[in-house]
Amino acid sequence: MEVLKISDLHVSVDGTPIINGISLTIKKGEIHAIMGRNGAGKSTLANVVMGHPAYEITSGDVSFLGKPLDDYEVHQRARSGMFLSFQYPPSIPGVQVGNFLKKSVASVRDQQLKAREFRKELNGAMEQLEMDKSFLSRYVNDGFSGGEKKRLETLQMLLLKPQLALLDETDSGLDIDALRVVSKGINQIAEDAGCLIITHYQRLLDLVKPDFVHAMIDGKIVKSGGPELAIKLEENGYDWLEA
Amino acid sequence: MTYFDMEIPSRSTHLWRYTPWKRIHPSKIELIPTSDEIILDHDGNFDVKDGIRLTEDSTDISRVFLSECNSKMNVIEIDGKGQLVNINLIANGETTVGHIDLKCKGEATIIIHLSGSSSWTGLHISGTVEKNSSIGYAFVNELESNSKLLRCEDWDVHRDSSLEYGELSIGGFRNKTDIRTNLCDTNSSLNQTVAVYGIDSRHDDHHMEIRHLVKHTDSSLTMNAACGGRSHSIGTGQLFIAEDANGSNAGQVFHNLLLSPDARADAIPELEVLSDEVSAAHGAASAPIDKEQFHYLLSRGFSPSHAESLIVEGFLVNTFSSLRNKMISDDLKTRLKIHLECGIKG
Repeated sequence: MEVLKISDLHVSVDGTPIINGISLTIKKGEIHAIMGRNGAGKSTLANVVMGHPAYEITSGDVSFLGKPLDDYEVHQRARSGMFLSFQYPPSIPGVQVGNFLKKSVASVRDQQLKAREFRKELNGAMEQLEMDKSFLSRYVNDGFSGGEKKRLETLQMLLLKPQLALLDETDSGLDIDALRVVSKGINQIAEDAGCLIITHYQRLLDLVKPDFVHAMIDGKIVKSGGPELAIKLEENGYDWLEA
Repeated sequence: MTYFDMEIPSRSTHLWRYTPWKRIHPSKIELIPTSDEIILDHDGNFDVKDGIRLTEDSTDISRVFLSECNSKMNVIEIDGKGQLVNINLIANGETTVGHIDLKCKGEATIIIHLSGSSSWTGLHISGTVEKNSSIGYAFVNELESNSKLLRCEDWDVHRDSSLEYGELSIGGFRNKTDIRTNLCDTNSSLNQTVAVYGIDSRHDDHHMEIRHLVKHTDSSLTMNAACGGRSHSIGTGQLFIAEDANGSNAGQVFHNLLLSPDARADAIPELEVLSDEVSAAHGAASAPIDKEQFHYLLSRGFSPSHAESLIVEGFLVNTFSSLRNKMISDDLKTRLKIHLECGIKG
């Protein structure tokens, strides 16, 4: 089943073209990794699929679960199974993590949660991610370290069980142990979802095995291949792709 | 001086710049209307004694006017041993007036909840925090949306005592509030937090005066106002530090969250510092909803109205984060959440 289909996508920000013709299809159970230099357009791709208002699709088509992306408002994308793990998730002072998670899960599942069942599910996911319960009473991302933010993003992904997971540099800010824990969560979700992983580093891809690796330069995918492409990019950089 | 001897204050004065007297008066300014009493109900183990509100020495028109409308006062003495005191004030009728005098000592938490459908409510609360006491105090304005409120508060905090003050202002359509606190003796402190939520054309004018009269006194004022629709919030802080009040610390912060293009918020901290050896700081900021926060919540499945409501909730809840008295902060947060959840449209 095609979860995400992108055809000749062009995207601008404030009139400046950022993505210049990307085509990509992600099916259920597939893990795609996108690598590229800073400013290549990787995060723009994830953000535009999630519907960030700063990005304008100037041409091309994107469909999610067989329907044009335009048919979905941002919250409807989330409720239909799209999830973006933010590179820089914002803090929301005054909103406690526990309250936020419960409301978010209830919104996405479109049902009132039974408190005991949700608590059990939440505890299980937090244990898996080796997160302390004190997280729940803190304000969302307020005063969090980089690693704590990424764990919270991963916790949300586990609870929301998306059909499409867009992971924007989820590995940045994580130490080796945290990376192992977060990778386990990604692998769990990837069994039943399409995954798009944006990363700079091979170390994540050692733990989450991609089916496809794409190299992106100047808003275009210039090379696609299997896991071996990631190793080659790590070793040789991107210059050879421009030759 | 009586009300009729007083001059109607002009809009050029700090206190009356945004809500002129004639806009908060219950009828015509040359009249003192007949009024009903605010009904007082409480769950505390204390007596409510009758008293008279005397304002002969006052030069403030609000206080004099309220005492001439109805001078009957409820005098409450709280000998605190850590207890929670809930006082419910119900204002029904055309014009309703009430006076409360709180004499507090020891440790106690007092929560006053004002509700009712009175067209016009006048309320004057005075309070004394006696020496070596720790008092938590919360005031919740949940009057119905067709009500006007004129409220005055006067607090004296004495030696080695603290007043933790939380307020949630979500009721009424036009509110004029004037809260004055004197830090009377050494090592007295005030932590004042005020959260205001405006919808439709609600007008909420808060004037908060804090006077450091002696050395080694501390105060902190935080006011957060979230304004939607065509609502207007005003926060004026007047900080006075006397010449002899060396070693005092004072801070005032005003934050405004503007939820619509027609909403307005004014924050005017004013400082009068006569002592050299003090720390006094102030700041004010107004901004619309953060687009990144909003998008983040949408991306987590929240509808636009629910996302806005959650951001407002967080913004206002954060007002109370500096309160050490958990009973106050929990009560105010719970009431706020219920109020906002009732208002979510989709």
